[in-house]
Amino acid sequence: MIIGNEFPPRKNQAPPNGSGYWWALAACIATALLATPLRAYLELSNIVMLFLLAVLLIAARFGRGPAILAAFLSVAQFDFFFVPPRFSLTVSDAQYLVTFAVMLAVALITGQLTAGLRLQAEQASRKERQTHALYEMARDLAGALTAEQVSAALRRFLGENLALEAVLLVPGLENYLAPVILPDSHFQIESNLALTAYKQGEPIEDCSLSGYGYGSLYFPLKAPMGVRGVMLVAPADPTPDTLAEQKPLLTTLASLVAIAVERLHYVEVAQTTQVEVVSERLRSSILSALSHDLRTPLTALVGLADSMTLARPPLPQAAQESAEAIREQALRLNGLVGNLLDMARLHAGHVTLRKEWQPIEEVIGASIQLLARSLTQHPVRVRLAPDLPLLEFDAVLIERVFCNLLENAAKYAPPDTSIEITGGVAGGFAEISVCDAGPGFPQGKALFDMFVRGVAESARPGVGLGLAICRAIVEAHGGTINAANRRESGACVTFTLPLGSPPCIEIEEFETETDDE
Amino acid sequence: MSEIAAKIIVVEDEKQIRRFVRSSLEEDGCQVFEAETGKQGLIEAGTRKPDLVVLDLGLPDIDGVAFIRDLRSWSSVPVLILSARSTENDKIVALDAGADDYLTKPFGVGELLARVRALLRRRRARGESGPLIGFGDVQVDLARRTVTRQNQQVHLTQIEYRLLALLIANSGKVMTHRHLLREVWGPSFVESNHYLRVYVGHLRQKLENDPAQPRHILTETGVGYRFQQ
Repeated sequence: MIIGNEFPPRKNQAPPNGSGYWWALAACIATALLATPLRAYLELSNIVMLFLLAVLLIAARFGRGPAILAAFLSVAQFDFFFVPPRFSLTVSDAQYLVTFAVMLAVALITGQLTAGLRLQAEQASRKERQTHALYEMARDLAGALTAEQVSAALRRFLGENLALEAVLLVPGLENYLAPVILPDSHFQIESNLALTAYKQGEPIEDCSLSGYGYGSLYFPLKAPMGVRGVMLVAPADPTPDTLAEQKPLLTTLASLVAIAVERLHYVEVAQTTQVEVVSERLRSSILSALSHDLRTPLTALVGLADSMTLARPPLPQAAQESAEAIREQALRLNGLVGNLLDMARLHAGHVTLRKEWQPIEEVIGASIQLLARSLTQHPVRVRLAPDLPLLEFDAVLIERVFCNLLENAAKYAPPDTSIEITGGVAGGFAEISVCDAGPGFPQGKALFDMFVRGVAESARPGVGLGLAICRAIVEAHGGTINAANRRESGACVTFTLPLGSPPCIEIEEFETETDDE
Repeated sequence: MSEIAAKIIVVEDEKQIRRFVRSSLEEDGCQVFEAETGKQGLIEAGTRKPDLVVLDLGLPDIDGVAFIRDLRSWSSVPVLILSARSTENDKIVALDAGADDYLTKPFGVGELLARVRALLRRRRARGESGPLIGFGDVQVDLARRTVTRQNQQVHLTQIEYRLLALLIANSGKVMTHRHLLREVWGPSFVESNHYLRVYVGHLRQKLENDPAQPRHILTETGVGYRFQQ
């Protein structure tokens, strides 16, 4: 039995008010009229049955109120029209009082039970319609590909089933919730309330207009991974307090919408990531192909020049020197290629850092070892504070930083002066300096920019990429880099790395003597 | 250097590199066979029974790592890799697959010969080295499990000793972080690189003259460690 096209609100379960009572009256009169000619053939007790049937039908059709009216009317009409003396409410035989009492009781009880059954059936069918509508909306949400489609499904459901209007608000730029579809003009969005609901994760009621029964509710869209936005619901027409009653349903709705919005969010994330992965792969394959193609001839050059100097019998002195020079030039070119490729890699977008917790000392040692050839005239002294903790960095890249700084120092400092590397902790950062005893940096140059050289066109090789690479690497690690001149002569480059919280290391429980035979 | 000439196979697709590698190895008294492709290299390795394979990682036909895995399934011949600097990860994978050492391009003849000699020496000396190992001013007695420095006993923890013994046993060879962690700490520690780094630091503090510029326990940045006598 479907009444109306929408969920009837709980209070208006009965069909249009009043008409049931008229029907009850009519049914009782009709019964009396029908029974009058049958009076000659039927016992009075059977006529009672006809009245009871009428009450039952009224109860089944119109519910409790009309059934009660019909019960009383039936008793009265039975008494008036059928019980002798007829056409009077007086009763000659007192036993009819029992009949009346039983008749009334039976009429009332059957009426009550029937009406109850009807109510349950009605509730069941309403539940079913609600479930169906929810299911349909869930299906729409599951198929939605954009936030606009989610919003449309929600609005369709609320509009058709609850006479409510809704707006979806999703986080936009900078702490601002933007509506997915612009609402109708009469819709008022209180951004502050929406933001509060979003931040606190609790529904918030806008009571400012509730005097007219026109308040609105802000539901946070709580999805498994976080709050995804806010659903703002308001009645389409200013009818009193329907919103508060629908709150449980609306909460369910909000979580359905939240899951849909979250799904869309992750679809987007996955797509972006995929595009990034593809372009990253392309970039690195281009760079490594370039690296391979540039290094292969350089390898041949260095190797061939080398084997010339080692040839037996030895080449004439001049040829020996040429071979040596070819080797040096090829190695220099290799350094340049390395720097250019590094810069391309660092500038190509995200640098993927392979960060690991490690002592900085190790990388310093490795850099010195790598540059042993160019550092022969510049002994390196390393002084690190004993409390310097493990740091998290990409060893290969930080090694580049040290190599570039040491190379610079060795290039500019006069022979037989030492290079100093010092390290300590200063305010949440580890501070590492590489200082030499050279002429120092010229004033007022943007040393860390690409292709800037301390002394332009100097006889010393280089194109001014070393420090730019250092800056890119250090900044990718969340640190800073600065150049300064020492008070005595010499240049000092200082860079910082964030300290973070190093992982703890389980120390062995006891020290064992190694000679534990 | 040796009575019988060592047989070396050079697998490299670039002709000029092959040429100078060959000439410098022959100059050093080795017998060299060339292979231009990976497939050819595997066939040569199967027929020549070499003492060493020099392998370029960027071969045109098969992946260098696949080459090593294939080779390792039937031979324990030492493998020296030649690779470009931009690919630390490729080196690690190749070393974990069973390569013994690597050279970064471009490299000089001197470096090449040093690595080749070290690997050949390791191969000859296998199982013959006594229990006593000396490096710098340190003496390690592997039989008695004692370490002394300038005739003073050095106290090592069990893990430190195990790490040192493992490095010594693979002297001259690059050991990846992963490999060392698995051998010393166990398989569940292979991602805990910081343990390894801290313990290597301890060993250097105890055994090296200048821990910041070690001469024996060397760092191969981004790859692992190498012990050098």
